[in-house]
Formats: sequence, structure tokens, C-alpha cells
Amino acid sequence: MKILVIEDDRDAAAFLSKGLSESGHSVDLAYDGEDGLHLASTGSYDVLIVDRMLPCRDGLSVIRALRGTEDRTPALVLSALGEVDDRVTGLAAGGDDYLVKPYAFAELLARLDALVRRSQDAPVENQVRVGDLELDRLTRRVTRGGQRIHLQPREFRLLEYLMRHTGQVVTRTMLLENVWDYHFDPQTNVIDVQISRLRSKIDKDFDRPLLHTVRGAGYRLAELD
Amino acid sequence: MLEGLFRTTVFRLSLLYAVVFSLVAASALGVLHWATKSELRDQNDARLRLETEVLLERYPDQRIPALLETVRQQNEQDGRNRVFFYRVLGPLERRLISGALADIPAGPGPGPARTYADMRLGDALGLEPGTLPYDVPVRVLVTDLRGGYRLVVGRDVADQRVVLDHTFQVALVATGVTFLLALLGGGLMGMDVLRRIQGVRRAADDIMAGDLSRRLAVGTRDDEFDQLSVRLNAMLERIEQLMTGLREVTDNVAHDLRSPLTRMRNRLEVTLLEARDQSEYRQVMSDTVEDADQLIRTFNALLAIARAEAGVGLEDSGEVDLAALTEEVAELYEGVAEDKSISLDTRIEPGLRVRGNRQLLAQALTNLLDNAFKYSPTGGRVELRAAADPQGPVLSVSDTGPGIPEAERERVQQRFVRLESSRSTPGSGLGLSLVKAVARLHQATLTLTDAGPGLRAALRFPPPQLSRMR
Repeated sequence: MKILVIEDDRDAAAFLSKGLSESGHSVDLAYDGEDGLHLASTGSYDVLIVDRMLPCRDGLSVIRALRGTEDRTPALVLSALGEVDDRVTGLAAGGDDYLVKPYAFAELLARLDALVRRSQDAPVENQVRVGDLELDRLTRRVTRGGQRIHLQPREFRLLEYLMRHTGQVVTRTMLLENVWDYHFDPQTNVIDVQISRLRSKIDKDFDRPLLHTVRGAGYRLAELD
Repeated sequence: MLEGLFRTTVFRLSLLYAVVFSLVAASALGVLHWATKSELRDQNDARLRLETEVLLERYPDQRIPALLETVRQQNEQDGRNRVFFYRVLGPLERRLISGALADIPAGPGPGPARTYADMRLGDALGLEPGTLPYDVPVRVLVTDLRGGYRLVVGRDVADQRVVLDHTFQVALVATGVTFLLALLGGGLMGMDVLRRIQGVRRAADDIMAGDLSRRLAVGTRDDEFDQLSVRLNAMLERIEQLMTGLREVTDNVAHDLRSPLTRMRNRLEVTLLEARDQSEYRQVMSDTVEDADQLIRTFNALLAIARAEAGVGLEDSGEVDLAALTEEVAELYEGVAEDKSISLDTRIEPGLRVRGNRQLLAQALTNLLDNAFKYSPTGGRVELRAAADPQGPVLSVSDTGPGIPEAERERVQQRFVRLESSRSTPGSGLGLSLVKAVARLHQATLTLTDAGPGLRAALRFPPPQLSRMR
């Protein structure tokens, strides 16, 4: 996909650009808010990565200006300010996700992916299906190969989130934030344990696993060949 | 100091009071003076009327020669000490004299018309001006008689005047003294207030100059000044604690981040010394990423503690259902318990509410559970309790680990403190510090006790009605 990075730290920008290019994306760079806004308003990008503190025009103002022109290009805010209220102002300004520096590159990639898919997705359907795994949001029924699978409420939400992001990598932090609404990382590998419990319910008795671990990044729910 | 005194509120107030009190005193004394004066005059007039009537009754037919004779006798009778004097003026005489007596108009007649007047003795008796008794003040009653005659009865009021003048002077002096005393009192009070305020100011200057241990002097009077000083001292205490905390953080950061950074740097440096094969580079790099992640975690934990200690997080507070929160966290750790073959025993009473920050409370509870699971041996047991104590909600986590010796329980709540015995387990030594900071932010207390065996960590919150964030 086509990504615009607005970041005034040239080293960080170059590094981001390199990492994103190597991950198969095409990247444009802008080093200040004015240039960034100018490039972004051409409307040719799939996603924007915007540093919060920028010369000429700060990152949130760039996003606000874009949103003012009905430009809905998803934007991920990068910031050194990491408190909950900073996050809230970042999202209120029209940002779609917020990532605190320093961050893991895998985390950034996973979030970008989620953002772009979300913006392209058709309206959320009540029935979703991955391979022979089916989930019904209304009846809260989960079946695989026609067999009923009983999930705890939280496991249901976890699976629902994974299925909404089918084929994408979701990180532990994304799960903590979106399924548990926790904006901190417990020391214990609680998410890994939760995933392995879910896996034992949906994958254990079947030949083809659907819930995969992506090393160094997180998890992916997908039907792989 | 004196210039400062005039600007003090106390002095201005006392100046105002001095003026008000002096005015009150002056009017009280003035009324007294006036009342005395009028009472004396009434008495004089009564006596004069009596004297006149006695004379006129003796001569009902008003035979003037006899009256003249009596008056002459009366005038000679008492000698020098006499108070009353009498005079009869004939029609001819009345036209000859001038001065105060002549100015008294004739009564409307008929019948005896009476006129009271104040004048000098010389005028009343027709003395030569300059003679000694001429200026003696007198009160006279002039009665018009038939045939143009006039009877004058007078009374010497010199003594009374002296007394009245004296009381008037006393009143003036008393008013002046009242004013001066009030002013002086105000000045002294103002000086006292000023002195104490300057004490506070000096202390503030010292503190701003960097002496954070300086405190305000607290007297023995326990007045509003002392009480204020006590409160301010408590505030200064808190500021000093925060500053000390900040300094400790800086020291700790320097100390505890330097060693892993050095390790990272050395590893990279050594790797660069000579050419290595691909897989070795990979290994070194992934080790370095792991080290960096650990550093970031430590850094974030330190930041979270510092922020909680500084009271950040208040703006994101609301009512938190502790029972629901505990339930949620317990559910998150159920799998961990199963994995480690540790039994997680949860007992949660419903309806525990506190005011606070959900994220911080959840993080504190996860930290306690992280510790409990880290130190409990396989087959052990972790108890999670949320109970409604009469004193307020209590969250507690007990484990069956090695516990913490009593002497060390205070110390482990400080940043980066880890027990010798747990050096081999991973951890930053920041978990309990954050719990403590979060507890403090929520006016809760963290107590560590012996669970026999193991450790019991309890967070005691204030009762719901008192619960508010610091």
C-alpha cells in the first residue's frame, strides 16, 4: 500500500521508510507539517503516519485540517506523549490509532494493516467465517465444521476481534487494548495464555490450524494452505 | 519595618478602629458635658425664680421704696461669700445703662414678665469696666415690675463654670488618649503580624533558594497563624518528598539504566570487532532488541510511577467497580494459573466502588498478581480477595511463595529494590513501587503481611463516601 510518513526526525523517517519499503509498501516522506499536509491532501495515500510534534504545523493540526476537507484517509499518530489523555486528544483530533514512541516495528506494521483494512471493509456483518470456523455476533454462536464450540464471553470477544482482522497480524498490545481495554503491559504473558486457551478450543480437534503465532509480532487468524 | 507596618491590614484596621472609638468616646463625653451644663442651669434658674418670688411675695403691692430697701439689706447681708445679688432698676436708670442688661427686651406685660440671661457681673451691677469682679460670670433673672421698674436677681456661677470647663478639658484629653492608645495597640498588633509574616516570607525565600528542608516556625499559641503554618509545613513536606522522589528516580535511572545500556553497547562493539557469520549477527541483534525492550519496559514503569506519585491520572478518574475489575483481572490470570499448576482462588464481594483511575487500578492489581504467580512454586496457591471491610474496600493477593522477611517489607516498596533471594528471577524491582504509588493516589494503603507461608499484599481503600483521589 501507499504510505505517507510525516516525521521531522530524518533518521527515524529514513528508517521507517526503509522498513516499510522492505515490507512491500511504497513510502513518501515529509519532514514538516506544511509539506505533509500538502502531500496528504493529494489524497493518493492508503494510510498516513503522522508524528505529533512537527515543525511548521503540528501533527494533530495536519490531521484536523485533512478531516476538515472530508479526507478520511486513515492516520496513525506517533508520539512521545503516552498518557491516556494524550491518546484521547490524539484520537479526538481525527487520528485513527495512536502509537507511543519507542514502539516495535512489528507493532507499527500490524496497526497500519488493521487501519487500512478497517477503512476498506464493508460494514460489519453479523456472520463471519474463516475456513470452516463460523461466528454469529447476534446469537453469539461459534461453530467449526458444524460442531458447536462453547466460549467464555471474553474468549468470544477475543475470537471476534481476531476474525474481524482475519489474515492480519494482531499484536499482544492491540489485543490488550481492544479486547480488554488495558493500556499497559502486564509482565506475565497473559495474552499468550489466553490465546493458547482459545486455540485449544477452536483448533485442537481439527486438522488444519487457523490461529497462528507470528514470531516476534503476534498472532494471525487465517486459513493457510 | 515601619513603612511596612503602615501597609499592613491590621494597622489600617486599627487606625479605623481608633478613629471610630475616639468618635464614640468624644460623643459620650460631649453628651455628659452638655447634660451637666443644662442640669446646672435648670437648678440655677429654679433658685433664681424662688429668690425673686420670695422678694415679690413680701411686697405684693409692689411698693418700690420698700423693695429697694430690702434689696439693699440683702446685698449687704452676706458679705464676700454671698452667691446671690439683687438690683432694682428704675425707669430712668434703665435708659441710662448700656450693655447686656439694657439689651433685655421688656416683657409683653401686663403682670411680671421674666427673662433669664447669662452675662458678666459688671454688666449686671453696672460696675466700672476693669474692676476685679467685673468678668465674673453670672446668671440673672430679670422681672419687669409695674411702673417701668425692673428687678434683677443674679447668681454667681464662676465655680460652676470652672467645673464645667474642667470636665470639658478632661473629655478632650480622654478622647485624645483613647485615639493614641488605639493607634498604639494597632501598631503593636500590626508589628506582631508583620513579624510573623516576615518569618514566613524568609522561610519561603530560603526554600526557593533551594533549602527544601526549611520549615515555617510554629508557635505555641495554636492560633490561625500556627494552624496555617502547620498546613503549609505539611505541604512543604509533600513537596520535599516529591523532590526527593524525583532525585531518587534520576539516580535510579542513571544507575539502573546505565548497566543494561553498557551491556548492549559492549555486545554490539565486541560483535563489530571482527567479521562474523550471518547467524551470529542475527543472534546478537535479536538479543539487543530484547535488551532494548527490557529498557523500554523499565523506563515506562518508572514513568508510570513518577506520574502516579505526582498525581497525574486524576483527570481520567471516575467511579470504578472494584469487584468487576477484580473479576476481569482474575479471568485474565486463570489461564496463567492453569499453565503453572497454581490454583487461583478468587473470592469477590459485589458492589465495591471507589473513585479512581481504572487503568492504574488494573495495573496495580496485575502487578500484585504477576508477583504472586512469579514467586509461588508449582502446585502452590494464589488467593485473590475483594472484600467490603467496614473501613472500606480491601483488595488482597496472597501467595505461597517464599514471602518477604518482615525487616525488608518497607524496603521492597522502593524503586529498584529486589531481594537477594530473587536476583535469579526476571524483574525490574518496580512492580511494588507502582502499586504503592497507585495506592497513594487513591488514598489507599499498601500493607505487606506474612501469609504463612508466603506473602499477603493488601490494598485498603477509604470508605466509599470518603473515597476521592488525592
